[in-house]
Amino acid sequence: MKAGLTTSVILHAAVIGFGLFTLRAPPAFQPMNVESFPVDIVPVEDVAQSLQGDKKSTVRDKPAPKPTERPDIVADAQKIGENSVDTDQPVTPTAKPKPVENTESAPKAPTPTEKPKPEDTPKPKEEPKPTPATEVAPAEQPKQDVKPDPVKQPEPKPQPVKEPEPAPKPAEQKPAEAKPEPAKPDAVAEAIASEQTESVALPNSAPAPEAKPRPEQAQAETAKAPDRKNSEKPVKEASSRQKSEDDAFNDKVSALLNKDKPSGGGAKRSSQQSSLGGDRNNGQKLSNSEMGALRDQLSGCWTIPAGAQDAGNLVAVIRFNVDQSGKLDGRPTVQTSSGNRSYDESAVRAIQKCDQAGLVLPAGKQDIWSEIQVTFNPSDMGM
Amino acid sequence: MENIALADPGAQLSIWGLFMQAGWVVKLVMLGLIGASVWTWAIVVDKLVSFARLRVALNRFEQVFWSGQSLEELYRNLAERKTVGMGAIFVAAMREWKKSFEKGAKSPLALQTRIDKAMDLALTREMERLEGRLGFLATIGSAAPFIGLFGTVVGIMTSFQAIAGSKSTNLAVVAPGIAEALLATAIGLLAAIPAVIAYNKLSSDAGKIAVRMEGFADEFSAILSRQIDEKVAQKAA
Repeated sequence: MKAGLTTSVILHAAVIGFGLFTLRAPPAFQPMNVESFPVDIVPVEDVAQSLQGDKKSTVRDKPAPKPTERPDIVADAQKIGENSVDTDQPVTPTAKPKPVENTESAPKAPTPTEKPKPEDTPKPKEEPKPTPATEVAPAEQPKQDVKPDPVKQPEPKPQPVKEPEPAPKPAEQKPAEAKPEPAKPDAVAEAIASEQTESVALPNSAPAPEAKPRPEQAQAETAKAPDRKNSEKPVKEASSRQKSEDDAFNDKVSALLNKDKPSGGGAKRSSQQSSLGGDRNNGQKLSNSEMGALRDQLSGCWTIPAGAQDAGNLVAVIRFNVDQSGKLDGRPTVQTSSGNRSYDESAVRAIQKCDQAGLVLPAGKQDIWSEIQVTFNPSDMGM
Repeated sequence: MENIALADPGAQLSIWGLFMQAGWVVKLVMLGLIGASVWTWAIVVDKLVSFARLRVALNRFEQVFWSGQSLEELYRNLAERKTVGMGAIFVAAMREWKKSFEKGAKSPLALQTRIDKAMDLALTREMERLEGRLGFLATIGSAAPFIGLFGTVVGIMTSFQAIAGSKSTNLAVVAPGIAEALLATAIGLLAAIPAVIAYNKLSSDAGKIAVRMEGFADEFSAILSRQIDEKVAQKAA
């Protein structure tokens, strides 16, 4: 037994000794040098809904804005466009002679005296006789009626008669349209003078004695201004009152007309075929979390009327509009009534109250806020 | 367990390092298992050696026994030496035979019985020697894994307590404690596996030797019985 024990001890000592000196710590695992992926959680709305594209294109598989033409590539550009600097503004198209623009631009055109001409030239020629449906045409007639000799176009005017208040407009718009017909120096002078000096200028500018009756008309009409505004918008814009008010707007429009190249947009180039889409890459809806945040704010402002508190599942859908600055635009409307008038009213008041306190809406989604629908339901609103 | 020290992540992960950073319970279990392993191997070595010797002795004895040598002569040779196995059985039987005949036994039937008893006793004593301590191998073979597991469970418990204390679930914090705890199971298995194998082999070897000795005892008993009959016949004549 002794021999056995000795043998065993020696054996174990040998094995353990061997183990201690040879079995070092196993080599540590070498972690693979894998680059970590940054993972963002993106609400599916951003991807699944309105993507940046071209509003006039047909729908294609891949949403893409109009292909850009500039070859030079700007580094790190995010927004697609022909700009040399990346901007957030939507792309403004080249100024095209659109009928809609003309009606608006014609009245304003006067200020930049030379610019309107190139754009308007195509139409003025035709306007007098064919009388394009636009209201511009009627405006000219009265003036020309006054001066029969220089301009013979007035005759085609049978149509203007259709419009009930053609006479008033002409007085003011006259200058604008007078220009297109360069034949008369007087007319141009009149136009410029009239616009610069506003309604008072009209009498002065009118060279002929015959013209005077018109100013009277014009004044009479200015008195009637409210009516006109309601009936016809172009006239409104033409009126001197608006000009003073909308200087900024005018600048914008003139800038629009000025450009012969598109402006705005980003500097990222796109080579894909354009497809139907919006101006930006935003989704069409507020995401659930954004909606939840809004609901939270509203529930803070909401006081359920005492009678309706126990009513349980009253549900009112309120729709309201929000302007660019995030303020309530107009009164909220009840989209789906709960059947309880005081309940609906309380929901509307909640929105108004929150608006007073200042609604906090997600930045960069102004396009989406413009119209918001909120379902007022005590259980949804955490009441 | 009052001061649960968090295993230092930078600690050695060698076998010795793992052993040294284990708790005292685990250390005790590991030391006990190492001792058991040492003892197991001591038994195994001892048994293998003694079985081999015994087999050699049996072979030599059988050779001598069947060589035609007279039993008296053989007995005289063996009686002075220390005998094992068949030799011991032979000597026990012959001693009883001698005692009975020298004193002039009257009843051959009683003599036969006495000789058988003496041989049985010798056989049992030899078997005891053969199979002694094999039981320990069986015990180690079945219990060592559990003892090792106990050390592991205690070690893991301790290291989890330490992890809870450190408020970190980093694998680098968890791993050393668990590795150290698992060392106990490893040692348990290291002791148990050879023990089980050796037990099975040694017990079957012992069984074979026992059968061989029993066979010899029966045969020798028959020989002696014949001798007794012859002596009785001689006396009667």
